[in-house]
Amino acid sequence: MKKPLMVGLAAASILALAACSTGPADTGGEPPSSSNPTAITVGVIPIVDTAPIWLGVEKGFFSDEGLDVTVQPTTGGAASVPGVVAGSYDFAFGNYVSGMLANDQGLALKYVTNGNSTAGSPDFGAVIVPGDSDITSPADLAGKTVSVNNLQNIGDTTIRTVVDDDGGDSSTIKFVEVAFPDAEAAVANKQVDAAWILAPFLNSAVANGARVITYNFSDFDPGLDIAGYFTTLETYTGKPELTKAFQTAMNKSLEYADSHPDEVKQIVTTYTKMTLDQLDAMVLPKFSAEFNREAMVKLGAAAFDYGTLKAEPNLGELLP
Amino acid sequence: MNSRMRNTKVSNAILGLTGILLFLLAWEIAPRLGIVRERFLPPASEVLVTLFEYFGEGAFWKDVGETMLAWAIGLTLSVVAAVVLGLIIGSSSFLSKSTYTTIEFLRPIPSVALIPLAVLLFGVTIESSLLLVIYASFWQVLLQVLYGVADVDPVAENTAKSYGLGPFARARYVVWPTVLPYLMTGIRLASAVALILAITAELIIGSPGLGYQIALTRSGGAVPEMYALIVATGIIGIIINFGMRFIEKRVLAWHSSVRSEVGA
Amino acid sequence: MSILKRIAYFVGLPLLLIIMWWALTLGEPNFYVPTPAQLITTFWEVWAGERFATDFLPSIIRLFIGLIATITLGIVLGILIGSFRWLRSLTEPLLEFFRAIPPPVLVPLFILLIGINDQMMIFVIISGSIWPVLLNTVEGVRAVDEVLSDTSRTYGIHGFSRVRHLVLPAASPQIMTGVRQSLSIGLILMVISEMFGASSGIGYTIVLFQRGFAIPEMWSGIAVLGLIGIALSLISKAIEARVLRWYHGVKEVQRDS
Repeated sequence: MKKPLMVGLAAASILALAACSTGPADTGGEPPSSSNPTAITVGVIPIVDTAPIWLGVEKGFFSDEGLDVTVQPTTGGAASVPGVVAGSYDFAFGNYVSGMLANDQGLALKYVTNGNSTAGSPDFGAVIVPGDSDITSPADLAGKTVSVNNLQNIGDTTIRTVVDDDGGDSSTIKFVEVAFPDAEAAVANKQVDAAWILAPFLNSAVANGARVITYNFSDFDPGLDIAGYFTTLETYTGKPELTKAFQTAMNKSLEYADSHPDEVKQIVTTYTKMTLDQLDAMVLPKFSAEFNREAMVKLGAAAFDYGTLKAEPNLGELLP
Repeated sequence: MNSRMRNTKVSNAILGLTGILLFLLAWEIAPRLGIVRERFLPPASEVLVTLFEYFGEGAFWKDVGETMLAWAIGLTLSVVAAVVLGLIIGSSSFLSKSTYTTIEFLRPIPSVALIPLAVLLFGVTIESSLLLVIYASFWQVLLQVLYGVADVDPVAENTAKSYGLGPFARARYVVWPTVLPYLMTGIRLASAVALILAITAELIIGSPGLGYQIALTRSGGAVPEMYALIVATGIIGIIINFGMRFIEKRVLAWHSSVRSEVGA
Repeated sequence: MSILKRIAYFVGLPLLLIIMWWALTLGEPNFYVPTPAQLITTFWEVWAGERFATDFLPSIIRLFIGLIATITLGIVLGILIGSFRWLRSLTEPLLEFFRAIPPPVLVPLFILLIGINDQMMIFVIISGSIWPVLLNTVEGVRAVDEVLSDTSRTYGIHGFSRVRHLVLPAASPQIMTGVRQSLSIGLILMVISEMFGASSGIGYTIVLFQRGFAIPEMWSGIAVLGLIGIALSLISKAIEARVLRWYHGVKEVQRDS
């Protein structure tokens, strides 16, 4: 009488595991229209990079396309991919190497629009060193400890390419994981030799004496796209009108954001704790509705070369 | 309560307060003296002021409520499950021996490793937090209950058996009193673990609550706010602990460890 | 109990569960739940190679040092705090305060104070796994049988002798409960500590796989943790059997009479 209880419990939990990993939740089969809006949830990290979607929602671009969007802030990449696969999010924001990794492993994700791209030089992300460090160029990073927010992702891939292009041996770099908010302290306290940091932490670090060694995104490729909005392949092929509506609204938001930086800064203050002063001191990312496929191919090739991916990504599958 | 006991309670409280004050002093001085950079660890006064500002915001209390909800539900469910399973497994030597490996294998698996699973099953909701909370707290209580059952005085149990008491009566009059102190320690430990996991789940997954707010302040670079919320977490922990101790004293008033203190 | 019976108990339920798992995954392949066969091959590929030296060993060593420090500190502090009520009152609010703060939140603070190195990770392990040992030791000390306590006082047994001959033995069942719990908590914290600023380790590897969507590899890492957990628990049982020989002996006599 007692053993079956345990067995039953175990069976139930394994069944739950197997059964619950099915497709995304159903958001309705009808094409969205202004008179009959479809509710969707988009998972985004509440940072400057995602300003366009917040702006687009505020400006009504999405409701024009018949979409009732709930922008759900996530704490980071850990939840966005499982969230999309499980159906909590219809679309989510994520950097392209993460998407490549997922597809490399067999998860079928598809980016539907771009999200943000490098702003050129100066950029909103850079590798910094303490002011008194004897590292002066990317090649000097060889043999040193460099922190990135996530290993085997876009940070170390772009940094390694930059170092190799500058003549250093990037395979001797010791990469450690330190989140952006902590990286500033890690560099200042000399716990790492160099750190990859994004704004606004970048500006705070530089204002306190740190030096920029490379703007690794733009030094990698001046047209590099960094992140985009993705969904599952299932949604993409199964709900073409929904996807199209999202794409139209999102691309409009991206273009609008790119040409109205002041409104971007304004909206960022509403969903983060940043101030306008901080934002004015920052370089904003570039928001583009177009993908730069050449730069993406380069990114995929680099990720493959450095062992992050098992094979070079198929952009036809990854991008629309 | 006689004056001697009252003095003891007062002196306990004063000592506790002294400890806290000493710590706050150290925290105030260290950043100001430059032992730690002020930018990364603001002095205690700044953080406390920010915390008081939070107290005035409705959104703050809503987040506290969400966290406490996950904590309460998760703790209750895991305690009930652990007591039931613990008593059943503990009282059968067959079950104890056959479940040993499985329990020892599953027990040390960190709830953090289950996060992708939680999100997959429940999305970014309170249920994900609950999965982590329950998974972690359950083992704490289960282990204690098993230990308690193993500690039952065989003489007492045999006496009860020879007097013809059935399994339920024995459970109530012999097993339960022995298990109770162990169980209370287990609940006290589990209540702390439940809080930690609730906040960790919110931190990493993003389900609603204090942990989620901490993550937002972190990624937004709002350092004093982040520490203020962390202090709030610690305060909740203290309140929970004192609450649990109070309950424990009430429930175990007859046990020697508590009695010896009351009389001193 | 015969060896055969012992083995049967040891692997019985796990085998049953594995069989059920295999049966349930016979259908179409699920991305997040590998089949048992997949897991075993992945496990071998991942952990039997050079990872053993680069990731497994460093983690184990850190865990070991952390646990030994935890147990020693926990017992010493527990005896002190349990014996002197004023010390307990002084430190209790502070201890409860820090205990409630989740490790993922505390680690950045530790990094700030200690740095990104092995010491920090060991510190994280101690900071979380000391609590069961500490609390159980305090409880054990408080619950020393009054009669024994008074008797030894009458005989003039004080200080260190008292601790060695009265307090420690009397509290040891409770202490061992705490130690047993701290082992699995220590393991969990080892994983968490390796999520920050680490470049090697079991926890680091699991998170890496998680991030890279290498799900079967991730599960293999989790399986390693479970196996270490079993090993730790067996070791502690063996130690317990020796240390608490007298206690178990008393119980056994009572049971047989």
